[in-house]
This record gives sequence, structure tokens and C-alpha cells, in this order.
Amino acid sequence: MDFTVVFGNVDYLLWGAWPNGPLGGAALTLLLAGVSALASAVLGGVLGIALAMSRGAVQIALTLFLGFFRAIPVLMLIFWSYFLLPIAFGIDVPGLLSVACALSLVGGAYLAHAVAAGIQGIPRGQWAAGLSLGFTRMAVLRHIVLPQAMRMMAPSFVNQWISLIKDTSLAYIVGVSELSFVASQVNSRVMVHPAEIFLFVAAIYFLICGGLDLLVSLLNRQLGRIADL
Amino acid sequence: MEFDALGPKYLGWLINGFWITLLLSLLASLLGSVLGLVLAVARSSSWALLWRPAWAYIALFRNTPLLVQLFFWYFGFTSLLPEELVLWLNAVHHLVLPGGREWMLPGYEYLIGVIALGLFASAFIAEEIRAGLRGVPHAQRQAALALGMTPTQAMRHVVLPQAVRIALPPLLGQYMNVIKSSSLTMAIGVMELSYASRQVETATFKTFQAYAVSTVLYILTIALLETLGQFLHRRMHVASQP
Repeated sequence: MDFTVVFGNVDYLLWGAWPNGPLGGAALTLLLAGVSALASAVLGGVLGIALAMSRGAVQIALTLFLGFFRAIPVLMLIFWSYFLLPIAFGIDVPGLLSVACALSLVGGAYLAHAVAAGIQGIPRGQWAAGLSLGFTRMAVLRHIVLPQAMRMMAPSFVNQWISLIKDTSLAYIVGVSELSFVASQVNSRVMVHPAEIFLFVAAIYFLICGGLDLLVSLLNRQLGRIADL
Repeated sequence: MEFDALGPKYLGWLINGFWITLLLSLLASLLGSVLGLVLAVARSSSWALLWRPAWAYIALFRNTPLLVQLFFWYFGFTSLLPEELVLWLNAVHHLVLPGGREWMLPGYEYLIGVIALGLFASAFIAEEIRAGLRGVPHAQRQAALALGMTPTQAMRHVVLPQAVRIALPPLLGQYMNVIKSSSLTMAIGVMELSYASRQVETATFKTFQAYAVSTVLYILTIALLETLGQFLHRRMHVASQP
């Protein structure tokens, strides 16, 4: 094992050509994951509440809509958004934005089910109590149900972030210069020691995702303690 | 944008890619299940020499992207092999069938695709089976031991069958993930469904049609597995009634 090739390119792998050029590498991976995490949290929250509060045909339509995003590979969705976004908006959409859009939709679709399950997990008595105090349905949701449901949803959100960070690597396919892309760039430029390059890159991902994974187990342990009380 | 249909030649490419996606996913799921079972049992062991490596394996494979794992096996692992072996692996090989017919074996990237996808899936499958193992009441094992079974026999004949039954719904979800994740193998040149849709797009410029056909094929496969899961779930529910 000879990691000199990694040390020679460590700047490029971590933040691309920045500050003399565009941001890339691990920094762009984090940026892409951050933006998508935020957008998917908003999307998942809104769709999840809609899923939990709706009935009949609306709920079925929503379930099918979410099912679509859960059934197709993320890669396929990136192809779609890379192809459709410029047509929809009539402008040149950078690869970064179309990947962020695809990742937010997928993340939102998965989170919506977690949010809906969290809301449905709150006992009916909480609703009845709120309504009998004269709250509107929305006020019960906002002040009584959601604060309790949030606690149950927290692990799902962190798990979703882990998937999201791993999925940012798919931006490689449309040429966004995030960590996996710069790694394969370095690999095809130097043509030596590919094992070392990809081990180093895997280690960076592992540090980020493994750290979040630890957070999930801490959250779950805390939830277990609350449930024991 | 034109909406005329794809020619039979290009539909053929997509169908071909679809078969490769299915075969690749099937083989990777088999590999992932066998390895996942071993990992789950090792991870549940109280012997540190068994559970520590299993724990490390699961953490490593779950917390790194499949794409990086594919690149590592395809470029990195290959570079560590002896040169003659790599040359042999990359060469085209034919299997001579009885009757003198020759069958071209799939290339090295297919082998790596199955192995990398299977190793990746095994970490997730192991965690589902482990959750199933924890779902089996402790008394089941104790009863088996009281009947004179060895710990291995108790695991093999009493605990594991029940654990797999509990874990079946999430396991099906993992198999669906394998099908969806198999699309990433296009990055190392496996000509599966996503690869084929890109190929058809480049050749015909009928982007919409190319993506639509492959999207429908993916959705149909996942929907079929979902239905199968619900059918199995109902049947097992009936079977577990006294």
C-alpha cells in the first residue's frame, strides 16, 4: 500500500480546485447533501402531514405518487431530472441542481412515510383532548401531535441523511465534481494505486456516515429510555 | 420533442438490459442472503472473535456508497491481483456446451458487479435478519436447549426459521433495493437496464421514450415484488394461526 498518491491529491479530493476554481470534492458532497437534506425535510414534512391527514382518493393518489419515487432507482430519477428540468424551465440547468432536485424528491418520498407513521403513532386521545379544548385540527397537529411525533421521527431523519450522503455519489454520472467524481478523475489521471485512492475516499464517506449512524443509535437508545418511563 | 415510438432494435436493447438487471440482482441477492445469514449469526454471537469482525464489516459496508465500493473492487482490488490473473479475467472466455456449442461467458465487470452488489447487500440483509433473531422470544432457545439440542442445533432448527419469517417483509425491501442499486453497475460498464436506456438515448435522441420504457420496467418489477410480499405475508399470517 502506497498512499503518496493520495497525499499528493488530498486538497483536490477534499475541496476540488477551490479557492482558485469551483468548489469540488468532499466539500461539494457535503454542500449537495446539506441542500438536499433541507429540501427533502421540508418536502417530507409537508407530504407526510398531507398523507396522515387525508382520506380516501386523495390519500391513495398521494401514496401512488410517493410510491413512484420509491420504486425507481435514484440513478433513473437523476436522468429524468437532468433531462426534464431544462425543458420545464427553458433554461440551462446545471447538473448540480438537477441532482439536488432528484435527491430531494427521493428523500422527501421516504421521509413522508416516516412523518405520516409518526403522526399516526400518536394516540387518538391526544387528538380528542386537543379538539375538546377548542383547538382546530391544525392547531392540535401543530401544538400537540407534531412535537410528540418529532421525537419518534428523529432516527428516520438521520437515517435518511446517511442514505442521502451516500446517494450524492451518483452525481458522478452527470459529471458533478463531488467526491466520487474527483476520485475517479484522480484515478484515471495517475493510473497507479487505485486501491489506495478509493480506500481513502471510502474512509471519508465512512467518517461522515458512520458518525451519523452513531447518532441514530444514541437517539434510539434515548427513545427506548423514554418508552421505559 | 418527438413522441414516435422506439424501433424494435432499440426496444431489444432495453429488454436485453432488463434481463441483465434481473439476473444480476438475483445472483447478488443470493450471495447477499447467504453471506448476510452468516454475518447475522456471527454478529449475534457472544464470542468477541465472531461478533467484532461481523460488526466492523456491517458498519463499513453500510456506511460507504455502493459506487465507491464498485470502483474499489473494479479498479482497486483488481490492481492488487497478479497481472496474469487480471489478463485472464479480462479476456473473453467461452464455455463449450455438450454438443459442441459455444457460449460466451460474461465479462469481468459482470463478475465484479455481482460480487460488489452482493457484498454490499449482505450488510443490510444481516441487519434485517439480526432484528428478526432478536424478535424470537428467548424462551424458544431455552426450550430447545432443555430438549437436549446443542446451541448450534437450537439456532439452526428453532430460532433461525422463526427469525427469517419475522424478517421476511424487510428482507423483501432489501431485495427491491438490490434491484434498484444494480443500476449503479453501469458505472463499471455492466450493460444493464440503466446503461441500455442511456445507450438508446444516445443512439436515437428519443430521451423521453428511452427513459420511460426503463422506468416502467423498474416499476413493474418492484410492484410485482411488493404484491408477492403481501401475498406471502397473508399466507404466513394464516399459517401462524392455531
